[in-house]
Amino acid sequence: MQQAASRPLMRKPKRNRTEFWMLLPSIVVLAAISIFPFFFMVYASFMDYSLDMDRPRFAGFGNWADTLTDTAFWQSWGRTLVYAGGGLLAQLVLGCAIALLLYHIPRFRNLFSTLFMLPLFVAPIVTGLLWRFLLDPTYGLYHWVLNTFGLDIQVLGDPSYAMFAVIMMDVWEWTPLITIIVLAGLQTVPEEPLEAADVDGANSWQKIRYILLPMVRRMIVVALLVRSMDILRYVDTIVITTEGGPADATKTIGYYLMQVAFRFQDIGGAASVGLTMLLASILMGRFFIKVLRSEEA
Amino acid sequence: MNRSWVTKLIVLAIASVLVLSACSSGGNKPGSGSNSGSSQNATNVNGNNSGDSGQSGNAGNAGNTGGQPSGAADSSDPFGGWVEGLPKIEAPEGFDWKQFEGVTLNVITENTPPSSGLAANIEVFEQATGIKVNIEQVNLDIVVEKAGLDFNARNSNYQIIYADPYQILSKQAKHFVDLNTLNNDPTLPSIPGGLEDFIQSQLLVGGYMGDKEHLYALPYDNPTMVLAYRKDVFEKYKDLFMQEKGYDWTPGPDMTWDQYYEVALWINEKAKAGVISEVKYGTGHQAKQHDSLMNDFSNVLAAYGGDYFEAENLGDIGTENPGKSLLTSPEAIEAAEFYNELLKIAAPGSTTWDWNGLAEAFAAGEIAMIPEWHEFAGMFENPELSKVAGKVGWTILPKGPKGRGNMYGGTSIGINKYASDKEIKAAWLFLIWATAPQTQYMILDAGFTPTRYSVYQLPYIQKAMNDPESQEAKEWPLASSLIAAQEAWKEGNVYMRPKIPMWPQIDTIIYTELSKMLAGRQSPADTMKEIAKQSDRLTGN
Repeated sequence: MQQAASRPLMRKPKRNRTEFWMLLPSIVVLAAISIFPFFFMVYASFMDYSLDMDRPRFAGFGNWADTLTDTAFWQSWGRTLVYAGGGLLAQLVLGCAIALLLYHIPRFRNLFSTLFMLPLFVAPIVTGLLWRFLLDPTYGLYHWVLNTFGLDIQVLGDPSYAMFAVIMMDVWEWTPLITIIVLAGLQTVPEEPLEAADVDGANSWQKIRYILLPMVRRMIVVALLVRSMDILRYVDTIVITTEGGPADATKTIGYYLMQVAFRFQDIGGAASVGLTMLLASILMGRFFIKVLRSEEA
Repeated sequence: MNRSWVTKLIVLAIASVLVLSACSSGGNKPGSGSNSGSSQNATNVNGNNSGDSGQSGNAGNAGNTGGQPSGAADSSDPFGGWVEGLPKIEAPEGFDWKQFEGVTLNVITENTPPSSGLAANIEVFEQATGIKVNIEQVNLDIVVEKAGLDFNARNSNYQIIYADPYQILSKQAKHFVDLNTLNNDPTLPSIPGGLEDFIQSQLLVGGYMGDKEHLYALPYDNPTMVLAYRKDVFEKYKDLFMQEKGYDWTPGPDMTWDQYYEVALWINEKAKAGVISEVKYGTGHQAKQHDSLMNDFSNVLAAYGGDYFEAENLGDIGTENPGKSLLTSPEAIEAAEFYNELLKIAAPGSTTWDWNGLAEAFAAGEIAMIPEWHEFAGMFENPELSKVAGKVGWTILPKGPKGRGNMYGGTSIGINKYASDKEIKAAWLFLIWATAPQTQYMILDAGFTPTRYSVYQLPYIQKAMNDPESQEAKEWPLASSLIAAQEAWKEGNVYMRPKIPMWPQIDTIIYTELSKMLAGRQSPADTMKEIAKQSDRLTGN
């Protein structure tokens, strides 16, 4: 018993080194498939590199100059800000609203949660096809509904509405992600503050505004962080529905990149565009992490 | 403690599996696509069609095309199916068709009626030669991407490649085998019927690049834009139109674009007034911000005497430098102004449709006339896919003040020069068979239009094309569109877009600016000037 009492409480580092070595192969592979492409992209951005060339030639800052002086590039970024901003705002509001709704119906919560999550399980290409069919002028259900109300709008063929439509597709598909994350946060909120609020006579809206939402604010920031990384580069539904049109109304930076890389086969130009997207993602990520840290403080 | 180790091992195993599966899912293996398909239901994959050179849509279920095939393969007809009147596939004396047995060939092609037809009948080739063939059918932009990657790496993942003249052949011709060397090789079979049996304009655009010294590919499909119209509507309201406008409105070779506009407008008005109930709109177009818009506009541009660039031989042999843009010419601006006005009276969905969407709207009975790829005839005549089966007429597109243009969208197939010598020769056998008259006749069921003169001379085909009420015509729905297509291929009627290395970028500029014009963002004149400015900057002119 004395021997048992004198046994040291701290484990030696050797066990951690074993775990490290066991994980090392996975880390090496992951690094190879993410770090090498990054360095290749940087290299390609300084090369005149097209798939129909025998070998790439050094181009200096030529690709960067072409990209940064291309009006279409900046216009695509402008549209991306509209797409991302509009999409994130709508997903945030709707996601929180649905999460609060689900939180307040403990009975059948799992059933309703599953139903609300269904769009998340649909492949993006299928989402695009679904919306294309729904908005088709010949046989689309939504088009018919609009016509019934006297609105003869070619949603995907009118620059005034096409961006709104692709934002709505994104909202439809990804709001459940925000909902899951916020709902998970709501379910960790302790009962005591809510009971105290009841005693003080707070109504439902006051409890949501002053207790629930502040307590899940960090979860909301995490949800926005995750979603913002994705929305910058998301092009699947645009490719299937509008292909960047009409009149370039939905040509976001992701679609612009795709066009440069795969239609024009200009690898050097595409690399420079891609690096600007990486920079934007990093800046956005740092912003949200800063917000998270300020929450912790 | 044991449980803790087990947990860690399980976590490590799961992480390793995820990483390995991510690595192995990185690329397509050649031949991983389907190598069988139904010739009865050859369909295009809808969706990511940005960059298509103009391909056909759904092909109908044609049923048995009849004919008198020779039956089983024998030494004089190694593949079987030869029909009296067609050139035979022949080989030098003593040639062993099985000498390349065991070789595997990977074919990458757009998902088109001929590729589906070949895939459905590939066992004919495989049994005769012992060569295994994997046919991968994908969207054109994927073909362009994969072919580009193969050539760039000097690989031969794909030995046989769908050589789109504008997106592949125009800039990557040097990566294809010169087929003249194989055709002239005395130890190998030569092209049955010779090169002269191919429709010459199609051979010119699909087989050569820059000069006629080197033959890079053989014509494989030939969709062409012509005019599809509702015969029933034009017959029923013919007299009413004649009373009001004073001429016979039936679409035909004498119709002008101005008359087309007048007819379409009249139908719109009568449909709105409830006089015409069979259709809602007079005309529809494939005016989505897509390659389809460039194709649709080009018909009008050519009819008004306009063109894209000043260089010679742009549309057939092709060239590296197209010269200055011609879109600021009065003819081009006039064409743009007319096209802009025409789209104002077109079915509103036109700006959301590519050729597939337009075909679906026409097949749904919404529209009276559409400029469309002739290979959609199969779909229009299929009662399972169309409400207008039996009601569709075909003719060439209207003429304009300076001429006429019917956009050509055909493609060829060639051999990757980085394949081994054995693979190249095996691939040559495939090309011989795939483009042979008897094979083209065999896959008529798939909704395919032959690229060989000899097939069109067969009595069955002549009967089907010239007598719409015949059994032959009923068995082969495409026949109704072929007369128009053949007329469209004639010099003076056909329009070939520029075959230049930078065409994908130019095409994108054209349809993007045209889309802005149709959205009212810029005038037709400004649109043409903007396209010309960007084109000249790109071509260095």
